[in-house]
Amino acid sequence: MGSGIHVDFNDAAPIWHQIEEGVRRLVASGALAPGAPLPSVRELARELRINPATVAKGYQRLVDAGVLQVRRGEGTFVADAPPVASEAERRRELCDGARRLAALAVTLRASLDEAKAALEAAWEELVQGRKGGA
Amino acid sequence: MGDATVPVQVSGLQVRYGAHWAVREVSFTAPAGGVYALLGRNGAGKSSIVRCLLGQQRASGGRVWLLGADPWRRRATLMRRVGVVPEEPDAPPALSTRQLTAWCARLYRGWDAGRVAERLRRFAVPVDVPFGSLSKGQKAQVMLALALGHRPELLVLDDPTLGLDAVARRALYEELVDELADRATTVLLTTHDLTAVEGIASHVGVLAAGEMLVDEPLESLKARFRRLRLASSALATPQLDQLGLVTSRRGPWGLEVVVSRLDEGGAARLAASGAVAVETMNLEEIFVTLVGNGAGGAA
Repeated sequence: MGSGIHVDFNDAAPIWHQIEEGVRRLVASGALAPGAPLPSVRELARELRINPATVAKGYQRLVDAGVLQVRRGEGTFVADAPPVASEAERRRELCDGARRLAALAVTLRASLDEAKAALEAAWEELVQGRKGGA
Repeated sequence: MGDATVPVQVSGLQVRYGAHWAVREVSFTAPAGGVYALLGRNGAGKSSIVRCLLGQQRASGGRVWLLGADPWRRRATLMRRVGVVPEEPDAPPALSTRQLTAWCARLYRGWDAGRVAERLRRFAVPVDVPFGSLSKGQKAQVMLALALGHRPELLVLDDPTLGLDAVARRALYEELVDELADRATTVLLTTHDLTAVEGIASHVGVLAAGEMLVDEPLESLKARFRRLRLASSALATPQLDQLGLVTSRRGPWGLEVVVSRLDEGGAARLAASGAVAVETMNLEEIFVTLVGNGAGGAA
């Protein structure tokens, strides 16, 4: 499994936030299972060539949120039971994603049914992949 | 007067060469543990500021403090606590890297020979070849390894990647990241390599014609700059002024303006109005807007 985290300097979101979101996504998708180790701050900073303080800030926020846990002398791991996003947070993120898909569909002059079908296909693919990969 | 907890403090600095003012009234501080990137085009005044900070040149006016002391008077003492990678590698060209390393090890207390050797190995620098015959990239790598050998509190890099190829540049930044991870050394660097510095800098100062146009955390700089594309005159001039208009030009798709006082809410409202496309900007785009031809100055 690669680090699976990318930072985009053209994104308005600060880099520590991009790291925070990236790890959350990996945990939510199952790519990082409960108890799985994370790259060390140094490793990830070196890989992405970013300031280690920025990586540390992203990690710290995830530790505070209970997504990650630090085991002294061992490193940083995904928590055994990482918290699920709150109802409001989940709805907000879903709306954001839906808006992006809707905008794309409108640009392509696709129908709502076409967009729904594409979403369902992508969904199936993801769920299958998760089962296969587990 | 100088604060010993602030590694670099510059206050109203002026540098004059005859009738030419290279630096006019520049002030900034590089906080402990931060990476301060001093940016500007050639001749903007970066090197004059660095020379004043390293005690190699006397200010025409204003003050500079290095680790809380006056570098012009205390240069020798201060340099034991500062690592420097100069723009032009200044090691004696006839000495091999092995000889240079041994020489530095005798010069400095607390020399970390193991770490220096490890770095040179990672860089794959041939240590028995005269320094003068090394490639540009290898010279820079040797200078960095030596600059970090005495575990400095402050590392000053004057355009360290100038003329280096992509591989050498990458190796240099990786070592810098390593040093930051290990010791959280304060760094002051000048560079033209805006893409690479964007991930590493905590603070940026942008100089043009000897004046500081911006001096702030990189995060806040990026948060407030946006490019707006206006299909027509969707926004009146007073509105644009309120958003901190920096530049405006006619692009291939209509009017393109850059504003410097936009917050997240304002950007979202503008984008939602539909008549204006709001785009974020990376450091290089912000830099070019600030100092490019026809740029208006401080923002």
